[in-house]
Amino acid sequence: MDLASIVESIEASGLGEWMRGSVKAMPVVEAIHVMAIALVFGTILIVDLRLLGFPSTRRAFTRVSAELLGLTWAAFVVAAITGTLMFTANATTYFDNTPFRFKMLALLLAGVNMAVFELVTVRTVAQWDRDAPAPLAGRMAGAFSIVIWISVIFLGRWIGFTKGYDFEIPEDIDFDFGFLETGLRFLHAAL
Amino acid sequence: MLDFAEWLQATSVSVTIQSVGWVIPFLQSVHILMIGVVFVSILMISLRILGRMLMDEPFGRVWSRFAPWMWSGLVVMTLTGVLLVLGEPVRELMSLSFWIKMALLAVGIASVVVFGRSLEPAALTAGYGPEFSTATKSVAIAEVVLWLAIIFLGRAIAYDVEVWGSLSPALRG
Repeated sequence: MDLASIVESIEASGLGEWMRGSVKAMPVVEAIHVMAIALVFGTILIVDLRLLGFPSTRRAFTRVSAELLGLTWAAFVVAAITGTLMFTANATTYFDNTPFRFKMLALLLAGVNMAVFELVTVRTVAQWDRDAPAPLAGRMAGAFSIVIWISVIFLGRWIGFTKGYDFEIPEDIDFDFGFLETGLRFLHAAL
Repeated sequence: MLDFAEWLQATSVSVTIQSVGWVIPFLQSVHILMIGVVFVSILMISLRILGRMLMDEPFGRVWSRFAPWMWSGLVVMTLTGVLLVLGEPVRELMSLSFWIKMALLAVGIASVVVFGRSLEPAALTAGYGPEFSTATKSVAIAEVVLWLAIIFLGRAIAYDVEVWGSLSPALRG
């Protein structure tokens, strides 16, 4: 089974069908994706800047990174799950989309950068934990990380402007959060 | 509102933004990067108030570490946001999510200004300080929820009819 047919079967899956068929699924999933990205980028930026010798230099590197690591990974998992859900809805279109492919490549590079840093540079952390900036290898990991994650966000946005939609939003849509309806109708009338 | 949006859409600034294909995705990307900076700055300050993070740092230092990033991020976010409205006035101004977002944004910015002003200069240098009151902790949680709602509504602008159905101004035309 080649990659293209795997992608086709993902798009044909029940999950893909649900993502395409549900009126609210796509906006909700995309919004959660943005929240998760904000968390991933913001928390990684703090650690990367610490490596480069910017704010929070009074605190040891391991202190800064250990405190944020859980948050970064939790947010990354949420971003990966919501990203996968978006992918299932239009798998074949995403798969053929150049910014999407570059985004996946950039995520891979982020992983390699992190692996090299964790497996090589961090081994000697005891010697530079309190230094700001970190030694060259640490500064490079931080700088690469910032550039890569900015690219991931740009590429992600570029996907939305290049992929085109290959499914129609169902026609019979209406507001269905009954419990909020009254209040929001009031607000709407006021506008 | 539609008349105003259509007038705005015909202005030369708007036409310029619309006609250069990469401008809108570029502005949106910068806008998202700044969401990361601003939201995480607010989250760090809130988590410090809740006693969950940065407890080895005095609160004043945490505030002066993150507040400038938050304000700078908000400035860039406002600039890119204004340009995005100029570029796509009908899409933005005819969206219910946009208007609720603006209302929440006003609340969010005002609350951060008020909180910043309420910090006594002494509090900023007073070391690790007393534990924050339950009221302040509740505000910290509310603040995080508020900014999550703002992010949600920002993304929902693109799906106004899907999210709000007949409540969307886009349908009223």
